[in-house]
Amino acid sequence: MSDELVQIETPFAFNEENQREFDELIGRYPIKEAAMLPTLHIAQKQAGYITPAVMKYVAEQLEVTVMKVKDVVTFYPMFFEEPVGEYVIRVCHTLPCALRDCKVVLDHLKAKLDTDIASETNLAKGTTADGKFTLMKVECLASCDVAPVIMINDDLYKNLTPEKVDELLAKLAS
Amino acid sequence: MVEERRILYEHLDVPDINTFDVFRQYDGYTRFEKAIAEYQPEEIAKMVLDSGLKGRGGAGFSTGEKWSFVPRDIEPRYLCCNADESEPGTFSNRYVLEKNPHLLIEGILICCYAMGIETTYVYIRGEFTLGKKMLDAAIKEAYEKGYLGKDVRGTGLNIDIYTHPGAGAYICGEETGLIESLEGKRGQPRNKPPFPAVEGVFRKPTVVQNVETLCNLPFIVGNGVEWYTQMGPTYADTRFDPPKPDANTGTKLYCISGDVNEPGVYELDLGLTCTELIEVAGGLRGEEVKAVIPGGSSAPILTHYELDTRLDFTSLTLAKSMLGSGGIIVMNETRNIVDCLLNIMKFYAHESCGQCTPCRWGTPWVRDIVQRIADGDGRKETITRPKFGVAENGRWGDTGETEEIYEDLDLLESVANNIANVDTMTWNTICVFGIAVSWPAVSYMRKFRPEFEAAIREGKLVTLPVAEATVPPEENYAYQQRFIPKEFADL
Repeated sequence: MSDELVQIETPFAFNEENQREFDELIGRYPIKEAAMLPTLHIAQKQAGYITPAVMKYVAEQLEVTVMKVKDVVTFYPMFFEEPVGEYVIRVCHTLPCALRDCKVVLDHLKAKLDTDIASETNLAKGTTADGKFTLMKVECLASCDVAPVIMINDDLYKNLTPEKVDELLAKLAS
Repeated sequence: MVEERRILYEHLDVPDINTFDVFRQYDGYTRFEKAIAEYQPEEIAKMVLDSGLKGRGGAGFSTGEKWSFVPRDIEPRYLCCNADESEPGTFSNRYVLEKNPHLLIEGILICCYAMGIETTYVYIRGEFTLGKKMLDAAIKEAYEKGYLGKDVRGTGLNIDIYTHPGAGAYICGEETGLIESLEGKRGQPRNKPPFPAVEGVFRKPTVVQNVETLCNLPFIVGNGVEWYTQMGPTYADTRFDPPKPDANTGTKLYCISGDVNEPGVYELDLGLTCTELIEVAGGLRGEEVKAVIPGGSSAPILTHYELDTRLDFTSLTLAKSMLGSGGIIVMNETRNIVDCLLNIMKFYAHESCGQCTPCRWGTPWVRDIVQRIADGDGRKETITRPKFGVAENGRWGDTGETEEIYEDLDLLESVANNIANVDTMTWNTICVFGIAVSWPAVSYMRKFRPEFEAAIREGKLVTLPVAEATVPPEENYAYQQRFIPKEFADL
């Protein structure tokens, strides 16, 4: 509780570029509240994760209660309420990927990064000690034809094998 | 062998088709221009109705009919394009968005013109960052060229398209969940009625259509209804007098994945069989087909006895399954069905939105039962219960016989059926997520019961040979989950 209070006091505000993006966004909807998801995406991009201060700021911008923002943040898996690594690795483990051995890829990533898999309530568990990577399992990424797939931040990587994972990690580490 | 018929995907691999100029070289926007020059809005709506186009998102509801429910005297009206492609096994929309976004814009323009809509939101799933980027760029170009914005091409129409990113929740692919999410709330589905066509986003009439459905519109307008209806089978629904045509017209973007040699999207006329589709996709990877999921992970499974089932809306409904979003997942003889069900149930337990109690509690419960069986801890006690099936009166019910069943299997069926009952097709939840959970749970268990029983008996996962693992269809209630009169001609 006390931690959260401290964080609220660390104010958050959009930087100039994001403010412009937000201003453009808000004109698209007849009610401000509808801009919630895109606004939270922008805020998360800037802040890294959704802190109580971010929620407070977004609530003010959209003229809703902070509780409403929290309500939304907790519903959607793509919003993080804890810090995550520089690279968020999402490993698809739904049936089509499972039929194509996503488990091998996941186990390899776990061993290679020396970390556990993050859960939605405990992201730190899947984050490497140096804070560079967060490893998480996600549901279908809609690329079943090129399974197994992973997403690293915004990019999709297809037809993965342990060798390809090694190459990718080497590239990201450099 | 069945030939691919590429219409939506025809120019998908043309370099730079995502740019306005190249798209224009391939007849881009000419169909929209034809629509505004030659037809009144009502005529377009009539064409879509006559074409028999069925929504490609999952429910397979007639698009023209859906449009006819929209009250034209309430302003403003909205179009929501559902690009929240999350059904496991489905990936055709992604390619449209990433490679040919102008085609979607043209489809949206035609829909907006036909329905007198000025604002469209494309709800695009949060993970589709590339797709959103490509679509945003295409929308920007369309604005610059005067195909979007105020007074489109000098016609006096004002049409705006905005993309709206989701944030990783499967339930937002359900149309009312999508609407709630678009309004900036948790994506929890609404009770229907009122249907979105009457009261949708911002409490105004809203047309919700899948990407693939909208991409069909330019071709229906461009080539005419007659051309369109030649593709795919049209059955006769003899419950009506005179028989009502039951159209399965057009092509479908079949997404095939799992144990085939060349997984991918294949655009084919509706109505080919499972066997033919597997052949088109480079044949089976493995010796024998064990099971096929015909319409995304929510669809009831088909066994090797049912491989000649035609993959269209009507035929699959009669086979007590569904075409859904057209995501076909093939499993070969090495797969364990208990393990596959566990994977799917983990998905649903994770994705339940938590609004309705039967689903919120039921989905994890089903998952836990399957997990227990897969871990070898399935309860070995058996019970004797009445055997259900086709009763004497021809309806679903008690057959008067009894059967022995493991307690856990009875529990699995009972919990799933209390979320949504697959036999009576009634659900205790607000949306059809409930039936999407119990359909796989019950159909896998009934059709592959020997494999579930073996796992409980042996205390570990046992993969049985295909013939032993599958319950044969002769008079078996596994194949008779629902009552749909078999009164369709020409099947």
